[in-house]
Amino acid sequence: MRLPEIDRGDSLGNRLLIGFISRVSGMRLPDAARVAFYHKAFFSAPMGAWTQRTMRGDSEWSVGERELMAALVAKWNSCPFCVGAHGAIAARILPRATVDAALADFEAADLSPKLKATLIFLEKLTLRPDQVTAADARAVYGSGVSRAALTDGVAVASVFAIITRYANALDFAMPTPAEFDKAGAMLLKRGYA
Amino acid sequence: MDAAVTSHAELAETLRRRVLDGPGETPAALRQMAAKAATGGAADGPAGTLARQIGQASYAVSDAEVAAVRTQTGSERAAFEIVAAAAMGAGLLRWQQGLAAIEEAGDAAP
Repeated sequence: MRLPEIDRGDSLGNRLLIGFISRVSGMRLPDAARVAFYHKAFFSAPMGAWTQRTMRGDSEWSVGERELMAALVAKWNSCPFCVGAHGAIAARILPRATVDAALADFEAADLSPKLKATLIFLEKLTLRPDQVTAADARAVYGSGVSRAALTDGVAVASVFAIITRYANALDFAMPTPAEFDKAGAMLLKRGYA
Repeated sequence: MDAAVTSHAELAETLRRRVLDGPGETPAALRQMAAKAATGGAADGPAGTLARQIGQASYAVSDAEVAAVRTQTGSERAAFEIVAAAAMGAGLLRWQQGLAAIEEAGDAAP
């Protein structure tokens, strides 16, 4: 963590809370959760609200599909922390083999045509946002994806365009696969807000 | 505008207003510069350099770039505001570009 104050917590209450959660869970509280406690009114509260709506709110996409989208956005943005974190959550819902295959090559993986078409759009939006056009949206619609579902997918890509960037910029410490799995169970239960 | 767009758009706008226009350790103008630098706008000083790197290739951000912004802004809390503003600028660009493509495609959805 490049800003040690985030690691420690910015108030006595947060320092105690970080220590308490780490002791109870038996693992170091991941840096993503430490950011969620830091300078909360400025960033983490409004960011958490949009993330919670996007990842857990009403949608035609399942929670597992949205977490897989997040893991792929993380891959495209070269953010190993977010690949590990959201791949682990996706794999608590979808088969691990499916998640791993999608992370290796989503077009060859055993995913629905709707999800693949949406991921093609999201990859372009992530890497070349100025080149995304109405024709790209129509191509997704051609696979049967609704306008609301595409909008929800765009929200996942946008929220994780933000999260992956601050995770990389702050140099989040990498948990072990077992720790990612444990943290993923907590995020499934508690959500993002 | 349908319900899905409205709810995401309202939450995105709340985030944008809070980070770019709300109170903080840093001047709002510095945060606004960082958000623009992350999407190809002018990049001034250490904060602009870090913001541009966050927008283009966040995996390549260095300890020195973050330390320079800590020195420029005077606190870790202030440096965090620059990191958050830059990341958010890059994310909201994608939200706006994606939404524009969807709106331009009109009623082609099934």
